[in-house]
Amino acid sequence: MDFNPTPFNFVSGFNSWLQLVGIIGAIAIGLGLLGSFLYGGGANGLPVFLKGLVSFFKEIVTVSPGRIWALTALTVKECVRRKALLVFVVFAVLLMFGGWFLPESAERAELEVSNHIAFVLTTISWLILPVVIFLSCWGIPEDIRLRSLHTVVTKPARRVEVVLGRMFGYGTMAITILILMGAVGYVWIQRQVPDDMKGINGGTNLLTCRVPVYGDFFYFLDREGLPSRTGLNVGDAWKFRSFVEGNTRSRAVWIFNDIFPETIGESLRLESRFEAFRTIKGSEQSMTSGLEAQYTLLQDTREEAFSSFGVGASFREAGEALREGNFQNASQLLSTVAERMSSAPLDFSPIDCRQVAIASVQESAYVLRKIEKGFEDVAKAFEEFGFAASEVIDPEDEASRGKMSIACAALADVLNERGDDLREAMPRIEVPLEPFEVHEFHEGDAYETYPRELTYTANNESTARFLTRTITDLNDLGKAVKGSELSADLLSDLEAANIETVNAELVIEVLQAEIEAGKLLAADGKLAVADNGRFLQVFDRLVREERLISQDPAGWVLKADLFKDLAPHGALRIQVACLDDQMYLGMARSDMFIRLKDNSFFVGYSKALLNIGLMLCLVIVLGVTASCIVKGPVSFFFTLTMFVIGQFFHSFMTRILMGQEKGSGMIESAMMIVQHRSPSTGIDTSERSMQMIQAADKVNLGLLHAASNIIPDFSNFTSAAIYIENGFDVPWASSVLPAIATFVGFLVPCVIIGAACLKFRELEAK
Amino acid sequence: MQTQENVIEIRNLSKVYRDFWGRKKVQAVKSLSLDVKRGEVFGLLGPNGSGKTTTIKMLLGLLFPTSGEISILGKKASDVAKNERIGYLPEESYLYRFLNADETLDFYGRLFNMSAQERNQRADELIKLVGLDQARRRQLKEYSKGMTRRIGLAQALINNPDLVVLDEPTSGLDPIGTREMKDLILKLRDEGKTVLLCSHQLADVQDVSDRIAVMFQGELKVMGSVEELLELREETEIRTGNLSEEGIAEIRAVLKKHGMPDPSIQKPRADLEELFLKTVRESGERPGRRFTAEEMAATQPAAEADASKK
Repeated sequence: MDFNPTPFNFVSGFNSWLQLVGIIGAIAIGLGLLGSFLYGGGANGLPVFLKGLVSFFKEIVTVSPGRIWALTALTVKECVRRKALLVFVVFAVLLMFGGWFLPESAERAELEVSNHIAFVLTTISWLILPVVIFLSCWGIPEDIRLRSLHTVVTKPARRVEVVLGRMFGYGTMAITILILMGAVGYVWIQRQVPDDMKGINGGTNLLTCRVPVYGDFFYFLDREGLPSRTGLNVGDAWKFRSFVEGNTRSRAVWIFNDIFPETIGESLRLESRFEAFRTIKGSEQSMTSGLEAQYTLLQDTREEAFSSFGVGASFREAGEALREGNFQNASQLLSTVAERMSSAPLDFSPIDCRQVAIASVQESAYVLRKIEKGFEDVAKAFEEFGFAASEVIDPEDEASRGKMSIACAALADVLNERGDDLREAMPRIEVPLEPFEVHEFHEGDAYETYPRELTYTANNESTARFLTRTITDLNDLGKAVKGSELSADLLSDLEAANIETVNAELVIEVLQAEIEAGKLLAADGKLAVADNGRFLQVFDRLVREERLISQDPAGWVLKADLFKDLAPHGALRIQVACLDDQMYLGMARSDMFIRLKDNSFFVGYSKALLNIGLMLCLVIVLGVTASCIVKGPVSFFFTLTMFVIGQFFHSFMTRILMGQEKGSGMIESAMMIVQHRSPSTGIDTSERSMQMIQAADKVNLGLLHAASNIIPDFSNFTSAAIYIENGFDVPWASSVLPAIATFVGFLVPCVIIGAACLKFRELEAK
Repeated sequence: MQTQENVIEIRNLSKVYRDFWGRKKVQAVKSLSLDVKRGEVFGLLGPNGSGKTTTIKMLLGLLFPTSGEISILGKKASDVAKNERIGYLPEESYLYRFLNADETLDFYGRLFNMSAQERNQRADELIKLVGLDQARRRQLKEYSKGMTRRIGLAQALINNPDLVVLDEPTSGLDPIGTREMKDLILKLRDEGKTVLLCSHQLADVQDVSDRIAVMFQGELKVMGSVEELLELREETEIRTGNLSEEGIAEIRAVLKKHGMPDPSIQKPRADLEELFLKTVRESGERPGRRFTAEEMAATQPAAEADASKK
């Protein structure tokens, strides 16, 4: 699936809607005023206009549900008696014979299921759609032509009630047919899909709705471990996936927020579908078993805070030191940078400064403020440094670099002072999971369930932190030292803390040696570090000096709690690596997700029908609105055009407006065709003409912008079918909510426009 | 502007129809001013294209006046609230043809937010009143023109209106229907309702109207009470029972003595409507019988026949 589900941003959408409705409202009021001035005899037009406006809004607020219901019921009766429901017969005939023509695939069972679902949903949409377009576009114009409307509007019925009654009536009819067809289609799918594909008789249930939780953030690490928006391009024309290189530091990183037991359950089920790409044939085993990939679960606040610090060459080393948790070293490196910045300011490019500014303010300062311990001073130093760096714009401006140098030195000082605190407060826990295989041609998606308590082989940092925590806890309980000697029960206490006996003996031996060397102090039943040092520093050194190498061949096997250790604040970071040399793994954001408990197929199917229903209702709203302004045929073509553009070309318009489509403006492109030129050579014309063409193209672009806002994006509605066809649940936030918001967003202004046009037009105009 | 007695007041009303480009096509109504008083039947007359229907549509808010003012039941013509007390029978019955009579009246009743009980009761009354009891379950598309006018009238009365606007009410009706319609108009007047009648069936208007106005080419040409406008002030009509030849000769002599040398003395004639109604009535009472001209000749005194019309 080449989709990238993103939750609908309701606030932003609402703001855009308000702006658009405001603009359209202002234009409408402007035109109304102009018309009143022209036809109302100059200044006399203003009171006429204002009275009209007031009476219109008075009508809107005094609508009667009873009258709307009467008009709704009338519309439904009209549809039924004009035999609109006959469309259901066509559907029934299609279902009777549809199964003959749908391919059966024993090897790709999920395709067979997908085909059946797609057939039903597509048939339903495309059968009802023309019916509702015809009915909605012809209803009011026919009422006006036959003058039936005269007997309605000469009753106390408001025009807005007529519009609403028509919309609700056609909507009721469309939804009724949809429910009928949907129910028949559901039964048909259940009957057509073989039992073994429904999980009966032990097979995998393909008629289900997987509920994915997609990563909130997704990025890559390049072969040097630096963050990047995309991975490698292996020459594939399809740019949906980016690739990570095998056996390097290259990774794809997903960050999931809100990971708690109540949101995902007590275990972690990861599902993925990656693309394997080989540069060599590989070993025989690799040919048959596929490429090796590995998940690593991380709790890494340093990565969170400093991942982008040092993307530019000037700060790279300092950035690495920060990510490694070596804050003293980072401090020294930044001091050196500060000195260089004052002695050779022009060595620092504005681009580097800009990058480090963004990283400092948006990442480092932000994350530091999030950490429980108070690091306000450090956060402020990063912020000051970031603001100073952001002022470096001119390549020749030495003054701004001077300011940045001072801020850099200040940051170095703070890091030096608070380095130990930061090291303690910013851990990095890496839990590599069992490698798994990714095949080039694989059936279905691969998923694995991991328990809440994960066992893993610790690296140096985790070992040092684990021992620090264990010894500190025992020391706090007074179990580490008895008098001025290590406790005799320490061995059993360490074993009780899940440390193998051989390793526990090693720890006691090393601690004893440290006491004897005077680096640790044992007195008054407490263990302390000499010179007011910290236990973490001691164990870091001991691990570094390789004095705590595990005596167990499996290494320091530790346990991590998925929620407490790896996602203490709800954010879980998962890295995916390719382990095979010279091989690549292609990934996109939606290729890996946390799979929650599956929903029933019925739930997803109902949501897909809901989206289709909303689409039909929106078409009705557009059709009825257009029919309040123009006659039936014009209204029909208008609505059809809106639908075709909104369904098939809206994303194209968006891409043009976002600058993602290559090429020049409309007129310039037309000229190129005439002159047989290409975008690289440009058109053959004078500079003046070129300016005029480009100015005209800007106007065109403005019109396109307006059109993209006025024409609804119908893909918001049809996307639901894609989810269900691919075995996914239809997500509320990414699919149902945008559909509802789009519908309501168009309903409100359309009702007002339709009612206004009907009110201020003469029904009997000759 | 509104006085207590006037249900409709029109002042300097004009309507110009324009084409797409705003150019003047035709001026349908020119500076029209008239009042319709509470409880009267007001006939608006004029040939086709004289502006009667345009005037009514402006009253009802279906068209917007180019200039002038309209007050109807004390409200502006554009105020939807006025429709609560108005019943309107359009020139042709533009009803929803897929509904039957019951559904039609139920639908229009709902537009007045009437309760289900009220709607049912009113529909029963009106269907009986317009004589469609046998056809109440048939869709309107199966109705004859006369039946359509009847159900049109019923929908106009669904809300028991204070003002009834009837545009060509007798159009398409047979003489019996016409008579019933006229009787109904008079009944409405007796109930204190105001009726605005617009027709070019002059005899019908004359029969029921209290006051009439004649329009021609968009202008009001004459307005007044029927008696006032139709009285032949230079002539005197004497009606008696059947007179012998001698009697007639004596009257001629008397009239000659009063300076009327050649008076017209003849047998009065009943109108065709009377003959038709009598034939139908007799046929109902004596089925299978064919009548002679002598049998059907008017035996009823002319004065009585006139009275029966009113």
